Amino acid sequence: MDKSVLALTNGLSPGLGFAIMVGLGVFLLALSFAIKTTLVRNTHDFIIADRKVGFGFGVGSVIAVWTWAMAVMMSSAMTYQWGLSGVFWFVVPNGFAVIAMIPFARILRRNMPQGYTISEFVKYRFAHSKVASGIVTLTMIFGILLEILINLKGTSVVISTVFSVDWKVAAIVGIVCVLTYSYFGGLWTSVMTGTLNTLMVTVPAAIVVAAVFEHVQGGAPAVFDAVAAANPRNLSVLRPDAAAGFGITLAFGLLAATVADQTFWQKVWAIRGPEVSRTFFWAGALFYPIPICLGMLGLVGIAFGLTAADIGGDIAAVGPYVVSHIGLPLALVILYVLSILAACYSTIDGASAALSSVVAVDIVKRYWPATKEGPLFVITKLSMLLGGLVATLIVLSGVDFTTLVLTTYALKTSILLPLVLAILWPRTNTVGFVGGVALAILIGMPIYETQGELIGTLSIVAISGITVVIAGYAGSARFDIASLRRVGDDIASEAPAAIAQPAE
Amino acid sequence: MSTIFTLIVILGLIGAATFLVGFTKGVREAVSEYRNPQPEGAWSDEGHYGLSALFAVVASAVVIALVGVAPAWIYAGPLLAIVTATGVGVAFLVGNRRPSAAPGPKA
Repeated sequence: MDKSVLALTNGLSPGLGFAIMVGLGVFLLALSFAIKTTLVRNTHDFIIADRKVGFGFGVGSVIAVWTWAMAVMMSSAMTYQWGLSGVFWFVVPNGFAVIAMIPFARILRRNMPQGYTISEFVKYRFAHSKVASGIVTLTMIFGILLEILINLKGTSVVISTVFSVDWKVAAIVGIVCVLTYSYFGGLWTSVMTGTLNTLMVTVPAAIVVAAVFEHVQGGAPAVFDAVAAANPRNLSVLRPDAAAGFGITLAFGLLAATVADQTFWQKVWAIRGPEVSRTFFWAGALFYPIPICLGMLGLVGIAFGLTAADIGGDIAAVGPYVVSHIGLPLALVILYVLSILAACYSTIDGASAALSSVVAVDIVKRYWPATKEGPLFVITKLSMLLGGLVATLIVLSGVDFTTLVLTTYALKTSILLPLVLAILWPRTNTVGFVGGVALAILIGMPIYETQGELIGTLSIVAISGITVVIAGYAGSARFDIASLRRVGDDIASEAPAAIAQPAE
Repeated sequence: MSTIFTLIVILGLIGAATFLVGFTKGVREAVSEYRNPQPEGAWSDEGHYGLSALFAVVASAVVIALVGVAPAWIYAGPLLAIVTATGVGVAFLVGNRRPSAAPGPKA
């Protein structure tokens, strides 16, 4: 296929790009005002939605926060880079990571019904250890900042690729739009707007991807033949280089990204108790089609023989480039941009809501427990703005945020197994937990740096897990997880209308 | 327009309609619950998802592998994305479980 036929769709002006970004933001802001007026009274409502998030909103919002810019753009990029093996290794662990939350979520939602954050669980699980809970709090904050950073970057990539807008301006407009609407309603806003964004990520994406193949001369069969001609291995899901190159490492990273992420734990404690397990199952299963659908754009990139230079140097832009250059009508390009923006906005929004819970519960209430409801509510809301500001400054500074990525990766991968064992294994103790994380970073990270991602990741996971197990058998204490039922509500300024009691 | 594209547009509209009907029901229930809070009562969450999870993982892998077998499977992704929108709408329509009659645990 001749890539010289690819040309930017007419009418994609910078003004249109800004109008789409701001228009979506204003629509969500109007929704946010209505939600604030109707459903939010205090900090408890703001950060945990009074634990009344039902099944439908649970499924929609979990899909929304998991549909990162990564899922919508990197699925195309991985397909473009590795063929079907790329989308295979990108997609299969992605949905499973959400489903893998079920056993842990079920245990903590049942045994700690008044919980808010995973750091709060660690605090009570390890006898108020400031080191243990501090490590987890720090990990959550780094993880949240990274989520905002990556999705902000995603917003700027798509807007700058499609509308030729300066990526820095796009990043600023994007963060202002998201923070403006998420500031007002907290978790309820995040849940409702996120669920609506799930609709915008799915149906428009399906129509646009089908339309792209409609606009290729010869349609899907021609793309199929061209991809095979470029390299027959592109049509196989069994390329070992894709598995070793990124697949296995990504699988562990994705597990850490859910199990060790407050964005998901906030949902666990906000969703109605009986709905938690099936919510995470439905969300994981229903998430799968989104990256599979958008990943198909990567095949078009291969078929046309696009190079990284053709699409601006960043292969994440292959999807936006194909959609905006294949000859689609302007309306369909706008629909695609709205899909990507919906994914980015909802993830940033969800991350900001998670940050508000960490700040309220793990920082303000922990270190200044006498803080009254009024100031707490203000601080909680301002923390979302602060998080967005910090992330934006990092993106705008142009610095390579590899250090932040690596630090977050090291912390998340290091706490993955200790956290899992803290939930599942009564013998897990403070020494093992803290020692496991510390040794995994001190020994595992140098291995990661010198031996590569695969060996490094496996080493980090193994070191942290083995340390916890050794310390557990060395000690005699056993933790009764049911004792967490005595943990009170650290935030509620007034008694919640109804406190759910789990059945045995 | 090809038949498959027309089909995807029609199914997409049906999926979006299902989603919006469910979403509206969900909003009404959330507001109603806020205005008239009801005690949730005792609950249990004992469903088994092991086999279903395995099926979901294998099914996603098989769909991707089939794209490499015949070009028609390229359209499986868009069709399944519509299933996602429809599924979220169905989740609203299925609604929340009723509290079980089982007694609550001792604190």
